[in-house]
Amino acid sequence: MNLEPITFPWLTLLIVLPLLAAALSLVLRKHPVFSRWLALGITLAVLAITIGIFIVADGRGGWLLYEDYPWIASFGIRYTLGLDGISLLLVLLTAFTQVLAILISWHRKYQMAVFYSMLLFMEAGIMGVFLSLDLFLFYLFWEVMLIPMFFLIGVWGHERRVYAAVKFFIFTMAGSLLMLLAIIALYLLHGQQTGDYSFALAALKNTSIPPALEPWLYAAFVLAFAVKVPLVPLHTWLPDAHTEAPTAGSLDLAGLLLKTGLYGLIRIAFPLFPEMAAASLPLLAAFALFGIFYAAWIAYAQIDAKRLIAYSSVAHVGFMVLGLCAWNVTAMEGSILLMFSHGITTGALFLMMGMIHHRTESREIGRLGGIWGKAPVLSAFFLFFALASLGLPGLNNFVGEILILLGAFHANPLWGALAMGGVVFAAAYMLRLVQGVIWGPSEGRTEEITWTDLHPRELLILAPLAVLVLWIGLYPETFLAPIREPVRNLLEGASLVAMKGGLP
Amino acid sequence: MTGDDLAALLPILVLALGSVGLLLIGAWFPRRRTLILTGVGIAVAAAAAAAFYTPPVEEISGLYGSGLYARFFTVLWSLVAALVLLLSVRYAVELGFAGGEYTALVLFGAAGMSLLSASTSLVGFFLGLEAFTLVFYILIAFHKGDPLGAEAGLKYLVLGAVATGFMAFGIALIYTASGTFHLPEAMEGITAGARFRPIGLLGWGMLLVVIGFKVSLVPFHLWTPDVYQGAPAPVAGLLSTGSKGAVFAALVTLLAGLPADRSDLIPILWVLSAISMVVGTLSALRQDNVKRMLAYSSVVHMGYVMIALLSGGASGGRAIVFYLVAYAAANLGAFGVIASLTGAGGEPQTYDDFQGIGWRNPFRCAALAIFLLSLAGIPPTAGFIGKFGIFYAAMESGYGVLAILGILASLISLYYYLRVVVLMFMTFECEVDHARGGISEHSALTICLGAVVILGILPGPLLDLIAALFS
Repeated sequence: MNLEPITFPWLTLLIVLPLLAAALSLVLRKHPVFSRWLALGITLAVLAITIGIFIVADGRGGWLLYEDYPWIASFGIRYTLGLDGISLLLVLLTAFTQVLAILISWHRKYQMAVFYSMLLFMEAGIMGVFLSLDLFLFYLFWEVMLIPMFFLIGVWGHERRVYAAVKFFIFTMAGSLLMLLAIIALYLLHGQQTGDYSFALAALKNTSIPPALEPWLYAAFVLAFAVKVPLVPLHTWLPDAHTEAPTAGSLDLAGLLLKTGLYGLIRIAFPLFPEMAAASLPLLAAFALFGIFYAAWIAYAQIDAKRLIAYSSVAHVGFMVLGLCAWNVTAMEGSILLMFSHGITTGALFLMMGMIHHRTESREIGRLGGIWGKAPVLSAFFLFFALASLGLPGLNNFVGEILILLGAFHANPLWGALAMGGVVFAAAYMLRLVQGVIWGPSEGRTEEITWTDLHPRELLILAPLAVLVLWIGLYPETFLAPIREPVRNLLEGASLVAMKGGLP
Repeated sequence: MTGDDLAALLPILVLALGSVGLLLIGAWFPRRRTLILTGVGIAVAAAAAAAFYTPPVEEISGLYGSGLYARFFTVLWSLVAALVLLLSVRYAVELGFAGGEYTALVLFGAAGMSLLSASTSLVGFFLGLEAFTLVFYILIAFHKGDPLGAEAGLKYLVLGAVATGFMAFGIALIYTASGTFHLPEAMEGITAGARFRPIGLLGWGMLLVVIGFKVSLVPFHLWTPDVYQGAPAPVAGLLSTGSKGAVFAALVTLLAGLPADRSDLIPILWVLSAISMVVGTLSALRQDNVKRMLAYSSVVHMGYVMIALLSGGASGGRAIVFYLVAYAAANLGAFGVIASLTGAGGEPQTYDDFQGIGWRNPFRCAALAIFLLSLAGIPPTAGFIGKFGIFYAAMESGYGVLAILGILASLISLYYYLRVVVLMFMTFECEVDHARGGISEHSALTICLGAVVILGILPGPLLDLIAALFS
């Protein structure tokens, strides 16, 4: 590890700034306008810091930033934050997404200050997940980010919001509580072996685990992460949560929360249990492939546009998991890049559905339609993001998907061939969405209302997203550079082949 | 009893004499607010005395300890009593409680709990337990106009009297087996090979029945929901935190006296813990009254604490003490919110009463939500650290199955805790006006909330202090 001798705790700032703003926002509940500007200011400040780090980092490897303080001494728990290329990309995505989440909720009326406060709490929690290197701290943030999401869905969501919120909470808790037991077990094993009771990820990697226990511990971790990813068949909370959440909530769910599960696999589950991981990759790949087709099939049958996009997310995370399972540099890089890209395109689609819903009060594909003639700019953006989402070459998702497919072919030609079919499916449901929402006949609803095209605020939200879509699609190197070395380290440091004693 | 012994009893004396004094003053100056606030002052003074005055002796007349462990619990129960009284100021006025008697009883109860936690002899155990049980006989039925309160009081009285009989008999049998009341020697009577081992075991079994009744472990829990429902909310808070916690504190001392090989007891304790968690959780799911839900939730929580008790050792003891503190803060807070919402129309108890009140009473309902999340063990609250400590102790001493049961119970418990949160914040706002709550209640709730959040984020200092208790 090359530790950067830093003096200023930038990483803590990324967590503490939103936290303080969230608390202040709660206290000043009666001043929603103030809290709105506060939320925007703070999220912009956080975005500025992350962009600053991104520019300074300039594709270097190792820990770009690292902080470590004792926290709960009697259990050997430390407050350890670290930022490498992989977390950098996700932190950047988080900071960027939260700015959009604030902007899209600009005119929300009901309990506005509390709403912004929840968004800020969530930003702090997600940042914490992407930065923690101490398993206890990680677990803490992992659960902390659930609570604001629970309230966002439950208080500000659509008709079946309570059902969706409770289901979301209990599903994710079910996975993570078992992970807590596994963390404690690992901690005890490591402590008994070395006398050093610590939750540090780096230390726990060197624990030798009894063969009888190892599959169970690994399963507990993978289950916690797979629920969040979500891997089919653990995905059933996702369509409900995504559909019922307010637009900002759907944006955060799709853009960020799903990534925490994948990040957990990459950062924690695979490095901690390299042999188990190697043994489970084909199984995970099978689930991923099944998920790609199953979700595509279900997505195609949806009548609720938001639900269709939600299922498209399930299909996309299937690609990402497949990329991890291929376990080579190309696919892994593709996976991480797709994590970033998916946050942008799916986030954009949810944002646009929010805008359309705001105008039409409807999300049903059958009732929408005929928008192209009335709001051409809006429709053009929608088409653009939908095309990006289905993997049109030159746009962002294509890069990630093609890398994953190349890597998958390399690892196992069958996986690659099957996944290829998934891309076709993606085109099918996405085109159906586009056709139903912006062209096609509408049943009354869209005819009656007078259409306003995009407001300047909405344009302000969508323009940077579109720029990023093109940027990643045309010159992905900017975003591939920072993850190159971490990915290589991950593959070598936890090299599955080496761990198995040279046998393939 | 020497002067030193008396000096060591100082905090208890402050509580007991303060209680008597208030009772007398209350007869001439029946001013509720003043009396109750004086009671708060007395309880805080007792806590300060226990915290800052180092007693000259380690043990008082062979009955009570006065070491760090005893002092810690005296501080804790005195503070709990102070909070209960703070929560009662407006409540007592609203329901027309006799201020002097009420305050005196709460203070006396705190003295009993402190004595029980400090007991180093079975006689001390008996005296401490009876002291606060007597107090509860009265306090539970303190609201004279409420038939549910009278029913609850009677229920507690009848079952409590039976329990007292069991306890006296059990202690007598243990004495027969070992020839001493003093702990830990009294437990030697049941070591393998002891002459009167069967008698000792019988006595210990009877004692376990009493303990099971007091901390409401399944199958001795049946009184709990009715009594919680009928008792005034602050009293239910005291009953659910102080009386149960004090028994567990004494139990740690009691079990420390057992031989290392506890194979006779382990299956019984194991089963008690497991069925308390399972039955408590499943029963809590079906409630539509918040106080009854909290009653069953306390059954589950006592099941968790039993896990730590079984695990034993340093980490088990530490986990118990931390959990008791975390549980006390959250549970007292939850009952406190109910007390503060109580107006002329009585206590809000059913789930319907909580529907849509969140945005009308944002501070108290948010506080209740946080207390419930702490009870559910969600970070960053004290309840999470407490649960972590218990599961840690369980895994360390090989009670993995109980830990998994506990995890499953907490998962299901989320449903009934969240239900209240959902009702408060995620339904349509209602027009029902609950009481706005007084400044004393708000300050007590702020203290509980502060404890729950701060212990969840920075538990280090308290954990270190607790580690010192066992060294």
